[in-house]
Amino acid sequence: MYIAGNSKVDSSFDAIVIGSGISGGWAAMELCKKGMKTLLLERGRDVKHIVDYKTANLNPWDFEFGPNFTTKHIQQNPMISQNTSPGDQDFFASDVDHPYHAEKPFSWLRGYQVGGRSLTWGRQCYRWSDLDFEANLKDKIAVDWPIRYQHIAPWYDYVEQFIGVSGKAENLSQLPDGKFLPPMQLNCIENHLAESILKGDQHRLLTIARVANLTKGWDSRGPCQNRNLCSRGCPFGGYFSSNSSTIPAAFQTGNLTLRPYSIVAELLYDEHHDKAKGVRVIDTLTNESFEYFAKVVFVNASTIPTAGILLNSKSHRFPDGFGNDSGEVGHNLMDHHSSAGAYGEYDGFQDQYYKGRRPCGFLIPRYRNLKPQPELGFLRGYNIQGDGERAEWEDRQNEPGFGADFKKRLTTPGKWSIWMAGWGECLPYHENKVSLHASKVDKWGLPQMDIDFSFKENEAKMMEDIMKTSAEMLSAAGFNNVSSFNYHKPGGSTVHEMGTARMGRDPKTSVVNGNNQMHAAKNVFITDGSCMTSSACQNPSLTYMALTARACEFAAREMKAGNI
Amino acid sequence: MDRRTTIKSIIVVAYVGLSSFSFYKWIALNSAIDIQSLDQKKSLIAELGEVIIPRTDTPGAKDAKVEEYTIRMIKYCTERISQHNFLNGLNDLEVYVQKNYKRDFAACTEKEKIAVLQHFEDKSVFKVKVLNKINNKFFGIPFFVRLKQLTTEGYCISELGATKGLAYDYIPHMYQPCIPLTKDQKSWATK
Repeated sequence: MYIAGNSKVDSSFDAIVIGSGISGGWAAMELCKKGMKTLLLERGRDVKHIVDYKTANLNPWDFEFGPNFTTKHIQQNPMISQNTSPGDQDFFASDVDHPYHAEKPFSWLRGYQVGGRSLTWGRQCYRWSDLDFEANLKDKIAVDWPIRYQHIAPWYDYVEQFIGVSGKAENLSQLPDGKFLPPMQLNCIENHLAESILKGDQHRLLTIARVANLTKGWDSRGPCQNRNLCSRGCPFGGYFSSNSSTIPAAFQTGNLTLRPYSIVAELLYDEHHDKAKGVRVIDTLTNESFEYFAKVVFVNASTIPTAGILLNSKSHRFPDGFGNDSGEVGHNLMDHHSSAGAYGEYDGFQDQYYKGRRPCGFLIPRYRNLKPQPELGFLRGYNIQGDGERAEWEDRQNEPGFGADFKKRLTTPGKWSIWMAGWGECLPYHENKVSLHASKVDKWGLPQMDIDFSFKENEAKMMEDIMKTSAEMLSAAGFNNVSSFNYHKPGGSTVHEMGTARMGRDPKTSVVNGNNQMHAAKNVFITDGSCMTSSACQNPSLTYMALTARACEFAAREMKAGNI
Repeated sequence: MDRRTTIKSIIVVAYVGLSSFSFYKWIALNSAIDIQSLDQKKSLIAELGEVIIPRTDTPGAKDAKVEEYTIRMIKYCTERISQHNFLNGLNDLEVYVQKNYKRDFAACTEKEKIAVLQHFEDKSVFKVKVLNKINNKFFGIPFFVRLKQLTTEGYCISELGATKGLAYDYIPHMYQPCIPLTKDQKSWATK
C-alpha cells in the first residue's frame, strides 16, 4: 500500500523503517516477512522498478548535450555535476534543493528517492574478515567491534543467496569467499597482469570483481545484459537494488506501507517506557507534519542523515540528541579514499579485443599489513580495483591531426591499458564529524548538516604506498608509460560514509550494541553505514545488508519474548 | 606540489603570460557575447568539421550533422571565455583564408583546407602538455582544440557516427573477454 498526504490510515504500525536505500529496503523486507505491519518512510519521490528508469534505454544521441551538462547546470550544481552524468542525474539530489555546509571540501552524494543510492551503487560485494573486526582492538584505536566474523558469516550467506553475487572463490583469509554465482570474466590484458602478479609477491593475486550483477537469472531477475548502464536503473533487473528486489518482496507480503515524500524530522521519545514511540514526519509536498507510532523503529536514513535525525530529536531525557548518552552521535565519520593509483599501456595483444560492456573491473585483494608491517608507516590496508581496455574514441580524440588518417585512428581500437586505484581504509577519528548547523536550515526548516571531515597522515601514507605498489605491478608486467597518480578527491567522493552512530560494547563510548540495538532505547535499531566501528577497505554495502538482516531477526525475537 | 613542479609552473605561467597576456585581452574575453551570431557560421562549421572527419567508406561529420551539435555545445555548454575564443577563431580563420587564398573556406581545394586547419592546429596547441592546461585555465579552450573536441564527440555519439563510423552494440547480452580482432574492426562506440 502507498500512502501520501493526509490519508486516513491508521498511524500505528508494528515497525517503522526510516529510509528505503540498500539497508532500509532490507529491513522493510525482513520485518514484513516476519509478519509485522511495516511503514517504510522515504524522503524523496517514488521510483518504481523499470517503469521509472526514464533514461535506461536511451542511446548516446538521445541526450541533447551528449555526455555534458550545460554551464548553467554546472554553476548551480558545482558538486553534483562533477559526480553524475545526464543519464543518472535524476537519481542524485541537487546541490540547489539540498544544501549542506562543509568545513572542508566534502562531496556528499545523496539519492533522495525510493531505493536511495541502491539504484546507483557500485555493486561491489566483499565480505569482511576478522582482520577487520579485530583491528581496532589490536591497534587500540577507537572502540572494539562487538562482533566477529563468525557472528556475521551466516548472514553474509543469507544476503548473497538472496541478492545474487557473481564472483570467484579464492580461499583468502582476508577476503572470505561467499555464495557466488558464476564469475564475470577477465579480458586478455587483465589476465596478463594477473599472471604476472602471481609470479611476484606471494600475498597478491588479481581476481574478477565480486558484484551484485547477475551472471544468470536469479529471483526472477536478470541476467545482466552487459550494457554497463547500471546507474540509470536496469530494465532487466540485472543488478540488485531495493527497487528491483527487496521492496517488491516486502509488498508481496501484504504487510508493507510505503510513504514517499516523507522527511523524518525526529524520533519521538516515550518517557514512561524508555523507548521510541514513533516518528514525526514532514510531508515534503504539503509541509504538514504527521506522527506515526510503532513498537520498533529502524533508522536507515544513511550515515549522515541518520546522525542528523538523532541529533535533532531532543527531549528531557536526551538533551543532546536521541540515544546520544555517549556523545558519539555524529562523530567518527569515515569514507574510503580512492584517489591514488597507477596507469600503464601495453604494446602486445594488438590482435585481441572484447565484446560487451562488463559492468565491473578486477580486484587485487588487500596485501598490506596482513601481519603487522610497521616498516610501511601506516596501519591497515587497501585493495586495488581497476580495469583493462583498449583505447577507444574518448581516449583517442586528443591525438594530433585531422582528416582521413585521424578518423581511422579515432574509430579503431588503440593500445591496451590498465587503470587501477587503491580503495583504502580510513581510520575512525573522533574529530571527523557531522553536526547540526547552528543557523542554516533547509527549505523545510530543518537544520542543515555541517560536515567536518579530512583524511589524515595514515591515509596520506597509504596513498603513497598505493601509488608505489600499483606502478610496480604494472611495470613488472611489462607495461610502458606507467604513471602513478593521486587525484586528491575530497572526502565523500567514494560515497562510503560510515561511523556516525557506531556499534560497541560500552554505552559510554558507542551508540548501538552488537545487535545494532540502541543502548539507551531498546526498540531503536540502526543498521545503515552509521553503525560501522571501523571502515576496513572493502566496499561496505554487503556488510550493511548482512547486519540489517541479522538485527531484524534479533528484533523479532526480542519482541516475541516481550523484551521490546 | 614538489619543488620541481613549482618551479616548472612559475616558468610556464611567465611564458604563457609573456606570450599572450594582456589586460585588454582578458577583459575582452570575459565581456558579453552575441552568441546567437554563431548560427550564421553554421555552414563554415560544417565545412571545418568535414575536414576533421571526412566522409570515407563511412559517413563524415557533415552526414552526421555534427555542426548542429557543435553550435548547441558552444551556446549552452561552453564557458564564456571559450565562447569568445570560438567566435574569434572562426573570424580569424575567415580573414586568414581570404588573405592567403582570396576566397571563402568552402571554395578552397582539399589541400588548401588541410593547410588552413594545420595552421590553426599548430597555433592552438603547445608541445608541452602542461602549457595547454595552464593556457586553458587562464584564457579558455583555444578555438581549434574546442572545434576538434566537439566535432569528434558530436560525430562519435551521433546515430550515424556511432552505428556506421564505429561499432554500436546496443544490448550486448554477453561479455566476450578475448576475441580476435576482425578485419576493419571498428572500436566500440560506448564503454
